[in-house]
Amino acid sequence: MFAMLPGAFSLLGDQFKDYAWFPEQASTFAETNDWLYGVITFICFLFFIPIAGLLFYFAIRYRKPKGAKAESQVAHNTKVELIWSIAPSFVLIALFYLGARAYLDIRTVPEGSYEIGVQAFKWGWTMDYGRGTYNPELHLVVNEPTKLTMKSSDVIHSLYIPAFRAKKDIVPGRYNYMWFQPTVASEKVSEEELAKATQWTKESGQGWNYEKWQFTEHGYRFFDLYCTEYCGTNHSEMQTVVVVHETQEELDAWIKEVSARGSDVTPEAWGKLLYERRGCQGCHSLDGSKLSGPSYKDAYGSKRKLQTGEEVLFDENYVRESIINPKAKVAEGYAPVMPSFKGQLSDDDIYSITEFIKTQSSNTPVATPATTQPAADESAAGETKE
Amino acid sequence: MSAGSIPSGAQIRDPGYPTHSENYLTNSKGIMSWIFTLDHKRIGVMYLIGVTCAFAFAGLLALAIRLHLLSPDGAMFKGENANNIYNQVFTLHGAVMVFLFIIPSIPAALGNFLVPVMLGAKDVAFPRLNLCSFYLWMIGAVFFLMALLGSQLDTGWTFYTPYSTTTDTSVIAATMGAFILGFSSIFTGLNFIVTINTMRPPGMTWFRMPLFLWATYATSIIQVLATPVLGITLLLLIAERTMHIGIFDPEYNGDPVTFQHFFWFYSHPAVYIMILPAFGVISDLISVHSHKRIFGYRFIAYSSIAIALLGFLVWGHHMFTAGMSSLTTIIFSALTFTVSVPSAIKVFNWLATMYKGSISLTTPMCYAISFIFLFTIGGLTGLHLGTLATDLHLHDTYFVVAHFHYVMVGGTLVAFIGGVFHWWPKMFGKMYSELFGRLSCLIVFLGFNLTFLPQFVLGSRGMPRRYATYDPEFQSLHVMSTYGALLLGVGLTVALFTLLYSLIWGKRAPANPWGGATLEWHCTSPPPFYNFERAPSVGDPYEFGNVEWDSEDERYVSTEPERKLVPDEQPSEVPAH
Amino acid sequence: MAGEETNSGGDHDHDHDHDHPPFLAHHFDTPEQQFDSGKLGIWLFLVTEILFFGGMFCAYAIFRMLRPEVFEGCSQFLNTKLGAINTGVLLFSSLTMAWAVRCSQTEEHKKLTGMLAATLSCAMIFLGVKAIEYSHKWHMGLLPAGLFSYDPNHPHHEGGPNYLLWICMPFILIAIGTILWLVISLIRGNKFHIACAKPLTVVALSFFAGVGLGTYLESGGSESHAVAGAHADGDHASGEHAGDDAHDHDGDHADHDHAHSSAAQLAMEDSGDLDVLEHLASDATNTGLKDDVAARVRQSEEASGSFAYNTSDDAANTINDVEREFLTPSRAGVFFSIYYCMTGVHAIHILAGIAVLVWLLIRSVRQDFNRQYFGPVDYVGLYWHLVDLIWIYLFPLLYLIR
Repeated sequence: MFAMLPGAFSLLGDQFKDYAWFPEQASTFAETNDWLYGVITFICFLFFIPIAGLLFYFAIRYRKPKGAKAESQVAHNTKVELIWSIAPSFVLIALFYLGARAYLDIRTVPEGSYEIGVQAFKWGWTMDYGRGTYNPELHLVVNEPTKLTMKSSDVIHSLYIPAFRAKKDIVPGRYNYMWFQPTVASEKVSEEELAKATQWTKESGQGWNYEKWQFTEHGYRFFDLYCTEYCGTNHSEMQTVVVVHETQEELDAWIKEVSARGSDVTPEAWGKLLYERRGCQGCHSLDGSKLSGPSYKDAYGSKRKLQTGEEVLFDENYVRESIINPKAKVAEGYAPVMPSFKGQLSDDDIYSITEFIKTQSSNTPVATPATTQPAADESAAGETKE
Repeated sequence: MSAGSIPSGAQIRDPGYPTHSENYLTNSKGIMSWIFTLDHKRIGVMYLIGVTCAFAFAGLLALAIRLHLLSPDGAMFKGENANNIYNQVFTLHGAVMVFLFIIPSIPAALGNFLVPVMLGAKDVAFPRLNLCSFYLWMIGAVFFLMALLGSQLDTGWTFYTPYSTTTDTSVIAATMGAFILGFSSIFTGLNFIVTINTMRPPGMTWFRMPLFLWATYATSIIQVLATPVLGITLLLLIAERTMHIGIFDPEYNGDPVTFQHFFWFYSHPAVYIMILPAFGVISDLISVHSHKRIFGYRFIAYSSIAIALLGFLVWGHHMFTAGMSSLTTIIFSALTFTVSVPSAIKVFNWLATMYKGSISLTTPMCYAISFIFLFTIGGLTGLHLGTLATDLHLHDTYFVVAHFHYVMVGGTLVAFIGGVFHWWPKMFGKMYSELFGRLSCLIVFLGFNLTFLPQFVLGSRGMPRRYATYDPEFQSLHVMSTYGALLLGVGLTVALFTLLYSLIWGKRAPANPWGGATLEWHCTSPPPFYNFERAPSVGDPYEFGNVEWDSEDERYVSTEPERKLVPDEQPSEVPAH
Repeated sequence: MAGEETNSGGDHDHDHDHDHPPFLAHHFDTPEQQFDSGKLGIWLFLVTEILFFGGMFCAYAIFRMLRPEVFEGCSQFLNTKLGAINTGVLLFSSLTMAWAVRCSQTEEHKKLTGMLAATLSCAMIFLGVKAIEYSHKWHMGLLPAGLFSYDPNHPHHEGGPNYLLWICMPFILIAIGTILWLVISLIRGNKFHIACAKPLTVVALSFFAGVGLGTYLESGGSESHAVAGAHADGDHASGEHAGDDAHDHDGDHADHDHAHSSAAQLAMEDSGDLDVLEHLASDATNTGLKDDVAARVRQSEEASGSFAYNTSDDAANTINDVEREFLTPSRAGVFFSIYYCMTGVHAIHILAGIAVLVWLLIRSVRQDFNRQYFGPVDYVGLYWHLVDLIWIYLFPLLYLIR
């Protein structure tokens, strides 16, 4: 009953989605949480309506012309005062108890939870599904308690999934964990819709537009995942999506699909995908505009001036080093803010990214064929890190 | 419209008007007489001007924020740097509002003017220190300006590490500014504590002090005890940035959560530095304009002190999601709930004071009523955030933004404006237009609610704070909020112009325009240089029985029953011996 | 009485009232009220000071709890003798300060000036010793985490600025200034100036007494095990020392290094040092390697998806299971960060104390204080005792860990 209250108080009712009071309830926490929220709101109104009512009533009822004397000059009434000092305390104790109990549930991870690693960085997410599979999207299995073990490569971030009513800060220098149990599986959109979106994406030449389609490139509806601890320039774009699968098999299938470059995917295309997925595009533009990092446009094959004043050739080795140890050679005019992707990208991934960067440059020397890269053949595709 | 009449034959006690040479505003001339003044009233006026400028500046930034959020992709700032500009604007809005406006608003501006006058003292205990703290405030403001003109500041007003140690904006200038402002705050607090302790004239016992003084006293305790910790935290932050001392920066094995603990150990009590004086102002406003004794004086006085002390124990509730152990989190949650009790007591007492009073709906009273309404919302929504489970959902969302704006703006700012309207005749000797005053109150009230009520919904729906861009489904609420902010801006402008207009064209104010019984109404408006010609006779600050309306001169006067030269009763006989 | 005083209304000259003595500010009624106000004010100020330092003591407690072995190890780099002598000096200055307060109450003006000068001299000696400590550590690269560059093989960096000279520079200027002042006022025969300049010259010179004392103790300091150990461990080419000595501006300093190296040989034989030596030796060979190995292990763990997660609690998951290896910048650096922050802020307080004491000294020469008006001396005295007290806490917390 309490859970209904906030809905009733919402300005225009639930039929207007824009004004709904809560996001969808999609985890085991959501129901308890919303119920508790409703209880508190109810108590608030229990206090607020009389206070506000009396406030305005007194202001009108006892309004008198200047110079009129007050009807009473009673200075205090200890009994009354004690009552209204102590009575609310019981309500508070009850609220505290309810809140703390629910909190303990939220903080106590059940045994045998499915584990996913999370790496937060400026400004993106990398979910680690084990076996060398990294992806920015968070994929879960419905009704399966899942534990996220999170770390940050730079500043404090905070992982927040409104639909799950779950949030936890990710503090650099330590591991943070959280868990939840999704209760609602993501729908899959129809094949036609997916095909249409895929077609559009291919033609536009841009990355997947979650906002426009409201489903992922594999055709799943999703929940939002936000960063809620202010982390700099693109804090508001540090979002990703949560997809809840019906079964473990479905999740495994998805993992398999995204884990590595398929045999039919060119390194350039895979590199582009990684560029979008792994957060490169947050800092490195393709059109030459200056973001937090240098643009890829015409970068490859050029001479790059470093902070130290040296000049280096922007070649495969430079790309590899900059991915694995970004602080070693920082381009002039930029801060050393890029996190290391060491251990997060396979050799093939790095190779693919390099190939992708090459396509963005008009001065790629034709004389350097890709054959220098041993991982170019397909066998490298399924390879994981040593 | 007057019902009062002065009993015939009663003696009227009214100080009249100050002469030109008595009036503190005019008794010495020239800019130097202001720059080097040691008079607490002039320092208070300078503070008033200073904080108003700071508020106007930060208020414009707030409007810029709201305008930017009109559309999901940002409507105000364009181009590659849009997000950065947005971040800098909200950082500066927060930092200026907190450090330059709210913290010094009531304690330093109103407090400096009122504390000695209300107390019946000639000045604060350390006038030079007082002037010094004003100039420290100025220097702090200059540092903030330097940060603005330098390479900006984009850390948020909380300066969380390691973001603040890695960003390439002028964190050091801003933290130096905050550090210096901290000292300004400490000196003001120290001055008031000493003043209230040692400068009370004979007859002014602790329980004859107006509640504003109690609130100021409680505030000062917090200022003196909490601000040094902020000072050292900011120093360590500066050291971290310059020398990488490795205390807060994880890259050198430091711990960012330690910074949060240090920071909130100050900054949570600072929240009470902001709201406690507002409580004091409202207690006086409600009582004076209801012409009724304040209900439960001692409970209000003690609850101020209780809030001040409990305020030190609850800083952890800013960090419920930050990674404290579960036990610590739960303890902090419990302590957080305790602090809501004294606040509730005050609200009930104010209501009881209005009950069966004789309420004049003057501008200050309208603001006081708005305060109670808005603060109650702000306080009650604190329950959602203090409850652990719901906080996990609401933390760092717009719900928090709405909550603290209800307390800080709906509470402190409204009380500040109400207080300024209340004491304006005393400060400058002019009456303003009641019509426009009340109109401003109405617009502020409506504009404020329109701005921040939608943000509660936004937060509940999961809109994170400090976002330069957002998902389109939140747009309608954001638009509503922006229109509210514009309306709020209009209301505040009306209030400002009403007051400024009165300075030149306002009617001369009588010594006691509202019928107050505290000591400041016993001296002329504006007060003479020395506040009181004779040591004031201290009575009950909330005894309105002998305050009568004099409709002829449109003023309140205190009356004394007719004095008879001959005692009524002669002793019937001379005692034996 | 109050009514009588406020009659004057607008003008507020000090002499407007016959029973308002010159030292009584216009807004106070009685000297007692003024004194009480000041006293309460200074106590409140001391409370803020304690909280100010409290923040750093908290930081100290947190990091010592997290890494006790780092604190123990690094503490050995601090010279206990210098710390002890500074403690003594400060304690003595507290005594003279208390005596000064007494003198101001009994109106013994000459003695008051003398006591204040003694307090000031002690403060200067303290700073002189501190200058030696700091310059020595900077020279070895024992700096906060970000700048930490200590290398056990080459504890004494070659080249680099002469830190001691830089620290001494302002004090040299001050000393020259006071001497000039003294000479000029002697020539002019201005008694008041002579009376001020004389004690102040002594005060300014006592800084160098402190430097000399520090140099002497530092060279004879067999306490500094770790330093000694490092000397013995690294190859100790005399050429390196020649380079060192070249820019030592005073002669004392030259022998100090030689004395030091001989002390090092002695310390080698001292069996108590063996484990320290062991540490340093192992560090010396594989500091870089160790980090690398650790990084690799972590990397492969993560790559294979098997995080070494601890499920119990967040706090327990902080990366604090440090191996017993404390001489890396990020570890030892934190100790020195805290050391510099605490002693540095304390030194700033000493400097502030010196400034107000000089002001008091000049006023005492002017004979401003009497049995009714001795507030300022009393307040500064309280402040000075607090600064002293803080050092008494700092000394064991930083120097005497073990």
